[in-house]
Amino acid sequence: MSSETADRILEAACELIAEDGIDEVRIARVAQRAGASTSLVHHYFSTREELLEQALIHSFEQAGDERFGEEVAAGTAVDGLAAAIRESLPYPGGQEREWVLWVELWLRAVREPDLRPVAARMYDRYRRWMVDVIEAGIESGEFAAGTDPERVAGLGVALLDGTGVRALLGDPAMDVEAARELVAGVLGDALGIDPKRLLT
Amino acid sequence: MRKPQILEAAAAVITERGLSNTRIADVAERAGTSAPAVLYWFDTREQLLTAALIADEEDFAARVGARLESASSAAEKLMLLIDATVAEPRIDLWIELWARSLHDPEAARERLRRDRVWRSLFAEVVVAGRAAGEFDAGVDPDLAALSIASFMDGLSVQMTLRDPAITPELMGDLLVAHAESILGARISGALDAEAVGA
Repeated sequence: MSSETADRILEAACELIAEDGIDEVRIARVAQRAGASTSLVHHYFSTREELLEQALIHSFEQAGDERFGEEVAAGTAVDGLAAAIRESLPYPGGQEREWVLWVELWLRAVREPDLRPVAARMYDRYRRWMVDVIEAGIESGEFAAGTDPERVAGLGVALLDGTGVRALLGDPAMDVEAARELVAGVLGDALGIDPKRLLT
Repeated sequence: MRKPQILEAAAAVITERGLSNTRIADVAERAGTSAPAVLYWFDTREQLLTAALIADEEDFAARVGARLESASSAAEKLMLLIDATVAEPRIDLWIELWARSLHDPEAARERLRRDRVWRSLFAEVVVAGRAAGEFDAGVDPDLAALSIASFMDGLSVQMTLRDPAITPELMGDLLVAHAESILGARISGALDAEAVGA
């Protein structure tokens, strides 16, 4: 599955999912967008379901590799967490598109038990990313000693999902900056630091 | 065929197949009735989704409404809301409405209306708790409601997707701790106190 053609097809599928919604995506349009024939698409992906699932996985794996791979340097956990909050919200552009795909994954995974382990793996990587930053901050004395990193990461991830989806959908009470301030406030309190330091 | 039975069937079919794969005929079949009987109440699938969500709200109100009314403190009310959500997160239809809202402005407006109903449940409890001196006087009820509802929704999604890391016990525990932290009050014993008093 590492061929360039397969990647191009998956990228085309992601674009169409983000534009039209996962339920509206048809193989023929994916092929057209990727500049491939439908039979070539079928060569790589035997069913529409498989193509759509692989497209979502492709998108999140890629985003995860870009984001979650970095080590937290000594003394920079506050900055690391501030970046994690910023990068997890639906800011216009690439992050907004990732968010649209994220909601489509929820939609799909509610109905398809096969996709749930995919979602669970994404959540696991996401939470571990936060746990690592929080642990590094406790170690360096930036965050309050005695904080439970798993609990704070669980708080952060779920709160980012709940505020992020409202910001994504244009809720007048919760734009993306308000979401960021709310999450920074809650996590700052939990970690014993001034929330403003998480808004850099 | 009564409307509630049609809505129950609609909620089940939409959850299983998704709104775009749901036909009026499927809902009729599930409810054991005819398509015209469904169409008597609903013209479109979108109307079915909205109606199913409102029915969910009403069902939630029926399950916890009486206990909310008779609760003796805001802390107890908040605990009832948290317990009822953890017992049955019911986020499936919401996810359907969120996905719909991405591509349909009318669905987005409907989402906002429903979300405001949901958030106002929490905001009202915060207002009452603040007035009674139970919660921190400086708490903003709308912001507190947004924070609690957002955290609840995020956890509900993970639990509904069967994320093994999020158990009902942990979800309840995290929600109570979060509410206590933003309200500056202890709420975790509120239901036990009622049991002792009863």
